[in-house]
Order: sequence, then structure tokens, then C-alpha cells
Amino acid sequence: MKKKCIAMLLAGGQGSRLYALTQNEAKPNVPFGGKYRIIDFPLSNCANSGIDTVGVLTQYRPRQLNSYIGNGQPWDLDSADGGVFILPPYQSAGEKGSWFSGTANAIYQNIGFIENYDPENVLILSGDHIYKMDYAKMLREHIEKDAACTIAVLQVSMEEATRFGIMNVGEDGYVCEFEEKPKQPKSDLASMGIYIFNWEKLRAYLTADEQDPNSSKDFGKNIIPNMLAAGEKLWPYRFDGYWRDVGTITSLWDANMDMLSPTLINLYDPEWPIGARSPVCPPHFTGENAEIIHSIVTEGCEVDGHVENSVLSTAAVVKTGAKVIYSVLMPGAVVEEGAVVEYAIIGEDTVIHSGAHVGMPPDGTDAWGVATCGPNVEIRSGAQVPAGAMIYTGEEV
Amino acid sequence: MRDFHGLIFAYNANPELRELVSVRTAASLPFCGRYRLIDLALSSMRNAGILDVGVIMQRDYQSLLDHIGSGKAWDMSRRSGGLRMLPPFGLPEYHTGNYYGTIEALNSVAAYVRDIPQNHIVLLLGNMCANVDLTAVMRQHIRSGADITAVCADHTPAGEHHRFVVGEDGFVKNMLLYRKGDGEGLPTLEGYIIHKDILLDLMDRCKAQRLNNFHRDALPMFFAEGGKMDVYVHHGYAQIICTVEDYYRANMDMLCSDKRRQIFPADRPVRTKVHEEVSSYYGENAVSHRSLVADDCIIRGELENCIVFPGARIEAGAKIKNSILMRGCQVGENAQLENIIADKHCSFSAGSRLTGSEKLPMVVPKNSQI
Repeated sequence: MKKKCIAMLLAGGQGSRLYALTQNEAKPNVPFGGKYRIIDFPLSNCANSGIDTVGVLTQYRPRQLNSYIGNGQPWDLDSADGGVFILPPYQSAGEKGSWFSGTANAIYQNIGFIENYDPENVLILSGDHIYKMDYAKMLREHIEKDAACTIAVLQVSMEEATRFGIMNVGEDGYVCEFEEKPKQPKSDLASMGIYIFNWEKLRAYLTADEQDPNSSKDFGKNIIPNMLAAGEKLWPYRFDGYWRDVGTITSLWDANMDMLSPTLINLYDPEWPIGARSPVCPPHFTGENAEIIHSIVTEGCEVDGHVENSVLSTAAVVKTGAKVIYSVLMPGAVVEEGAVVEYAIIGEDTVIHSGAHVGMPPDGTDAWGVATCGPNVEIRSGAQVPAGAMIYTGEEV
Repeated sequence: MRDFHGLIFAYNANPELRELVSVRTAASLPFCGRYRLIDLALSSMRNAGILDVGVIMQRDYQSLLDHIGSGKAWDMSRRSGGLRMLPPFGLPEYHTGNYYGTIEALNSVAAYVRDIPQNHIVLLLGNMCANVDLTAVMRQHIRSGADITAVCADHTPAGEHHRFVVGEDGFVKNMLLYRKGDGEGLPTLEGYIIHKDILLDLMDRCKAQRLNNFHRDALPMFFAEGGKMDVYVHHGYAQIICTVEDYYRANMDMLCSDKRRQIFPADRPVRTKVHEEVSSYYGENAVSHRSLVADDCIIRGELENCIVFPGARIEAGAKIKNSILMRGCQVGENAQLENIIADKHCSFSAGSRLTGSEKLPMVVPKNSQI
């Protein structure tokens, strides 16, 4: 079955900078924005863009991610001649089998899957970004510009540019230089880690890169520079919408807070729904004493306390007299009577017992940070968890 | 539970439900912020492993078809068996207008009933508001060896109902038809487990005599021949929704945590069609007390004792009390609503005021613009 474009979603990274939140699960499966998990965004973007075949490359702790994705039905990706496929590393006959050693190697090891669909183009996505993007528009531009590779880019400030892969663009509009985290950026166009490749070309570069023992088998470090060096046409696709990398505790917390502002990213848009697999719960209940200010609350929640500038995910509970301020409660998190949670991320099914205090407002010092409790943690009655703390599953506090 | 087959009666649209059933049947009445009443019957069956289910419909069933779809939400979209929507076919020749009773409804799909491969049939009303543990009912039915097991409530529901009086042998000795209020015996929720052959026999004999009603006509025949009926007592919330008042009260009852947990126990979840996937947002001055609010709502005004379905947009200064807002309602700034049942996609302009009475809430029909 010939396809114009299929997507390959890199979801194997450990997400080590999310610490306790990715101790036992893959980063793309981390809950986000009340109803979602991070991977819902690229998957929904695919479905909304008319891309019906998605390979999801998994490696690090894939169990929950596998069952979350399932047959792809929540994103309407359960189609007869496509669908969503989990692609773990595997062993071939007579070989030892190996882990994916880099983003490019992960795709290289799945050339067989891609060839199945005989695609003209392959869209490479990562599972750690929050954004709404019409890949069909990007694909049109890719075809129009006859590019070997089209790279989605975002305009950033010159200060931020030092943290990204930066595209320098020639007079003809094509990319002429690529610099990874330049000290003195020459341009403000940052790579978003979203690529569309002409498949024949990509296959050739992947195969050649495999032969290079010094390569780190990475798109940004190897494949893109190699294509540039060989004089291939690389086109920058400019994206001006909301886009956030949520790879760190601070950026994950920030992006969650952004969900409170529909002007940044409108999740209520019926034209671009973000799908999610969620258990069917009754509507959320607000009790006699509930106070909810500038916050989002999800089905299954029970609130009888004070909630302000916060994100409450499915079935989170805030009991009488409890306070949740500038915080994220992941699914099933419970804040008991009189407990206070501020500037914190509370993991799935974690219980903050009565009178405990988690997190602190910013005090202007560098030491300050968002307090984080991993999933299934119990913070005992009256305990104090300081700002910036990281509580792992299994730890006693 | 391979030997049990479900049948749900979803043809009813009691006229006392007024405007609420002008666009739907009672079984597809929106309930508790995101459900339809029939979700309770379907989920009760699903949670007992009964996945082969027929839904008997007659008219105004578009909303029901749309809601149930392939039955996937209840795991009833199966390669073999699964869910069947049953509009009338092979109507008895004396049929005129609406079905007069459940026996007539069954006879109108008699060919389907005859082809049911299982021995036992579980009958439930689509407008029953109860989460019944059918696993326990089926177990009791097999253990007691009864011909029929009736599901009864442990308290007297509002409105007219039938009661069963149990004798010393544990089986029903007397049936009391059309009762109101407390009295002898146990009120039936009109849920039954019955052997297929007994049901078919009663259907055939009623048809021959042009009788339509299960309780008034068929059950007396059954008892007259010494049929053994066991009674299963359902503990927990139970009401059959026949009137606007029933509907309003059942929804408002869900604001009580105890009653809500009886309808939504953790181990027997109520499943429904999933629509949107976005949380609800509360603005700077929003107030929400003793209310159930579904996803995809934006609340900037005040709610008190309300059931709010998805898609609601409540503007700043609006005050809504003791009301039900079905899917997609919009309430403008400073509007005041009290004791209102607003059907789907109603909009209330800024500053508008509407008040129903506590006893008889005002029903605002679908798509109204006030």
C-alpha cells in the first residue's frame, strides 16, 4: 500500500530530567494538562493532519505507554490500512539484537516497517513537545520546495537561540547552515525536532550513517549536517504557534500553567481536537466549601478545598480546607484535609496527608524550584516538603 | 456468563416526561452531566459479562442510535454476538401506534428472541436509574432454581409501581399491581431474569389473546400455573424515570455523595460514549458549590446545586441555581436561572431571568434562545 507520508514518533527517551516522574514510565506517557499525556499531542496532530500510519518507537519502560496507545482508537488511528504501531527494539535471525543507539538508528532499525508502506515521505516526531500543528501544511511546503528534508523551525529570541539547534538560511530561503546550541547564533530560527524527509533520500543517508563508526546516529548531529554537506535541499518550515519542550520539571510545570490561558493554546477548539485515552468518570464534584479560581478541573475530581492557578487531572481530590496553589495534580492525586500544595507537581495516585505542606512560593533565590512528588508517594501528616524537592516513589517522607 | 442474554426496553417515552421526550426516548435522556439513562442498564450488563444484548426501540430513536453506535463503549461491538439495535419488525397485525406494553414490544421482535442462543434472558428497563449488580442476580437465579428472578428495590420509589409479596418458601406468593407509596411486599424495578422458553411461551399466549402487558397479563398466567418467582433485593439508589419530576430529582440526588457512589461504585463503572477530551476551566470570579460539572465547560459565573453537561459556557455574573444544563448551553453575563432544566444547546442572553418552581422545574426545549 503506497502512502504519501507516514509518521515515526520517537518515544524511547528516558526523560531523565523529569526524575521521579519518569522513574517508572516513559516521558511521552507523563500526564499533562488535565486530560492528556504528552504523546496525545503528536498523535492527535497526526490524526488531524490526515496521517493515518504512525510508528511509535519505544525503548525505555514502555509498558504503560504500550497499553495507553493500544489500538489507537482514542485518536481515530485504528484504521484498516494504517494505524498506530508500537515498534520496540527487536532481534533478527542470527543476530544479537541491539537497543536503539540514537534517533537515526531507531529509524534505521525500522526500515522494514517503513518500506511496508512504500511512503514518499516520512515525518519524524518526538514525544516530548506540546503543540498543535498541521503536518499536512508542512508536507505541502516540503513537496512545493522539492526539499530532501523540511525542518519545522520556530523563531526564538537571540538569548534562547543558544539552547537550540539553529538554522541559518541563505538568500534562496533554504537552510545553508545548521549549528547545534551556538554560542554566537547567526539566526533566530530554532529547530523544533520535527522533520519531513523524502524517504528514498533518508534511507540512503541512514544506511550510510550506520557505516560510520564515529557517528552518534542522531538526526540533529549527523543526518542533517551530512545532508547539508552533500548539498541536499533543506527547507525551513516556519511555525508560529504555541510550542513547548517539556523535558524538565520547570518547563513541564510552566507548560501546564500555560493551559490556563486559552490565548496561548486553545484546547477547546473543535476543529483541532486533542484525543486522550481516559477512564470514564462522573463529572467533577464541587462541594459546599469549594473555591476554584483560574484553574482547570477534570472529570472524576472532587474538590471541597481551595484551588488557585492549578491544573487538576482526572479523579484528583482536594479535601475540605486543603489548598492547591500554582500546582499540577496528576490523575488520582489526593490532597487531604488542611494540607497545602503550592508550586508543586504531584504524581499519579500520590497522597498528601492532612496538614502536610509541599512546596513554597518563589523567594527570589537560585535555590528555589518547583517541588515534585513522583507517582504513588505518601507524604505523611504534617510533613514539610521544601521548594525544589524531588520525592521518588518508595521514599518515605 | 455465557448462558445469559440481555434485552433492554428503550421504546418508552412516557408523556409525563413532556418536552424532554419530544426529541428522544426516556432511555436516551441525558443524566448526571455526561451519561444517558440507558448507560446504566448497558453498564450493569457489561459489568456482569453480558455482552450479547438487544435494545428494543420503536420510535424517536435517532438520539439513541447516535449514542450507542456499535456498542463499543460497553465492549459490545463483537465479532460474534454483541449489541443489536432492534426497531420493530414483524409487528403483530393488531398493532396500532405505540407499543402498549413490554409483551407487545417483545412480540414485535419475536424472531430475534426466538433466535437467542442462550437459555436465560435478562430484561432491564432503559429508563431505570440504578446500577444493578447482575452478577449477584444471576448467581441467585441459578442457585434458587426459580423460573423467574425479579430485581426489586429495598425502598419504595416515587410514582406508580408493582410489588411482589414473598411467601414462607422464599418465592413470590402475591403480586400487587399499580401501587403508590409504601406497602406490603417489595417494589419491582422491572428487571427480570427469565428462562427463554418461559418467556416465549408467555409471549405466544399473550399474542393469541391480544394481550400486551407483562405485569398485568403475562405474570398472572405464570403464577396461575404455579410458576416460581424469586426476588433479588437491590440495595442502593433506584428509581424508574417516568416523569419530569423523577428526572429532575434523580439528577439532583447525584449531588449527594452517598447516592452518587451507589450509582457509580468503583468496582462497577458506568460506561458511556466518550465525546470531547478537554478539562473544564474556572475563571477568576467563578463560584461552584454542590455541583457536578462535566468536562469542556468554561465557568466564569456562579453555580449552586447544578448539574452541568459538557460544552457549557457560563459568563461572569451569571447565577445558576438548582438547575440542569444539558450539553452545549450558553448563559450570558448576569443571567439568572433557577429550577431550570435546559435541554441541549439552549442559550440564555445576558441579563435574562428564568425561574421554575422547586416542585415543577421549568423545561426549556432543545435549541431555545432566551
